[in-house]
Amino acid sequence: MSGREWFIERYMALGSMLSGDEKTPKAIRINPLKTTSTELIDILSWQGVKLEKIPFLDYGYKVIESPFSLGASIEYLLGLYSLQETASQYPTQALAPSPTDRVLDMASAPGGKTTQAAAYMQNKGVLVAIDINRDRLYATENNVERCGVTNTSIHHLDALSIPDKPAFSKILLDAPCSGNYTTDSHWFKKRIEEDIERNAELQKRLLVKAINLLESGGTLVYSTCSLEPEENELNIQWLLENHKVELEQLDGPGSPALTTIFDATLDDQISYCRRFWPDQTGTQGFFVAKVVKQ
Amino acid sequence: MRLMRRFLRDIGSKYTPSEVININNKRFTYTAKPPLELPEQVYTGTYLGQNRQRFEPSSILLQMLAQEPETHKVYVDRDTSWLFVVGKDIFDENILDRSDGVRLGGYCLVMFGEHCIGYGRYETSLDLRVVKNLFDLGDFLRREQA
Repeated sequence: MSGREWFIERYMALGSMLSGDEKTPKAIRINPLKTTSTELIDILSWQGVKLEKIPFLDYGYKVIESPFSLGASIEYLLGLYSLQETASQYPTQALAPSPTDRVLDMASAPGGKTTQAAAYMQNKGVLVAIDINRDRLYATENNVERCGVTNTSIHHLDALSIPDKPAFSKILLDAPCSGNYTTDSHWFKKRIEEDIERNAELQKRLLVKAINLLESGGTLVYSTCSLEPEENELNIQWLLENHKVELEQLDGPGSPALTTIFDATLDDQISYCRRFWPDQTGTQGFFVAKVVKQ
Repeated sequence: MRLMRRFLRDIGSKYTPSEVININNKRFTYTAKPPLELPEQVYTGTYLGQNRQRFEPSSILLQMLAQEPETHKVYVDRDTSWLFVVGKDIFDENILDRSDGVRLGGYCLVMFGEHCIGYGRYETSLDLRVVKNLFDLGDFLRREQA
């Protein structure tokens, strides 16, 4: 099954009112390793850029207007800010890595969340960033350099090949997923039901690997930019049923994740996760879960 | 190390990295040790630059050198900065200020306020004095396009 109508009907069955035409506005994230919000906003305002603080993000600003491409300014090249979609700024903020943490970013390319994590860590502790795709990993290297990150070790690696050892205090798994239509105008034409099933299986394997690499009491933030419950709530339900983990309540943007999926009723804890419906949040579709290993 | 040392000397820096690691011809100082052994490392800690025909400093190293009072610097305004990061040279008349040590034939950092946007060689070209662009931060955009 596939096609725009099939997906929209599916989302309606989950309780959404999506039209399929939602778009996400441009947003930037200020880099506190290199500047302050006040300083950067002054500089950009002077150049005619209008920004609006995103209330639920620490360093995120929506771009209202810009007379030039924000991806090619001197301030961008200096690493004072990054272009990063609103919802995608939330997982790292939810993970809240600190300067004493040992953090793993399991699917790091192109590096937006990696540089965000390094900023929360104040360039201290250790941040390990890996990705299976070498070409995309070059972008991570460039972003890490541009943003002045110095606490990161980057590896071209399949996360599933890492030997099981509980070495990390925090893990970010922004998993490979089916994506969503708000950032890709051809999305409906490209996606079929089998993609969802295949991605959900890979995500389960990555979730297990993340749990095995996490120390007891450590925190995993799992996120996708997919709207499909198989890649989100149903994966987390599976994790709760098969591993010694608990979910931590997430506040802020989006709505509580679904506990009724089509005919299935899920664990009440699933509602601690957040689901971003684009028509409600004005962002791309997103799902975020915060998992604590027992 | 030889090319990097020469670059540091020519720019007037006293910086000496305590330990230099070579990964795929890129130079790093080791400030991020993973909590478990992992293969296929492509980047670690503080990236210093890479050897090509000459040593090409990273933007991280350039910002570090910009903090040293001894390094040779020329200061330019926003318009000139923009021309520089798209690969142009800087005419002498567009230099707002310069530090001691900037001399013909020598290397200098190009500064926009407190930020370093690249470096070049102060030289004479067609009877004009210019800072010849040797590296600028526009390289990030050129890498993205590549």
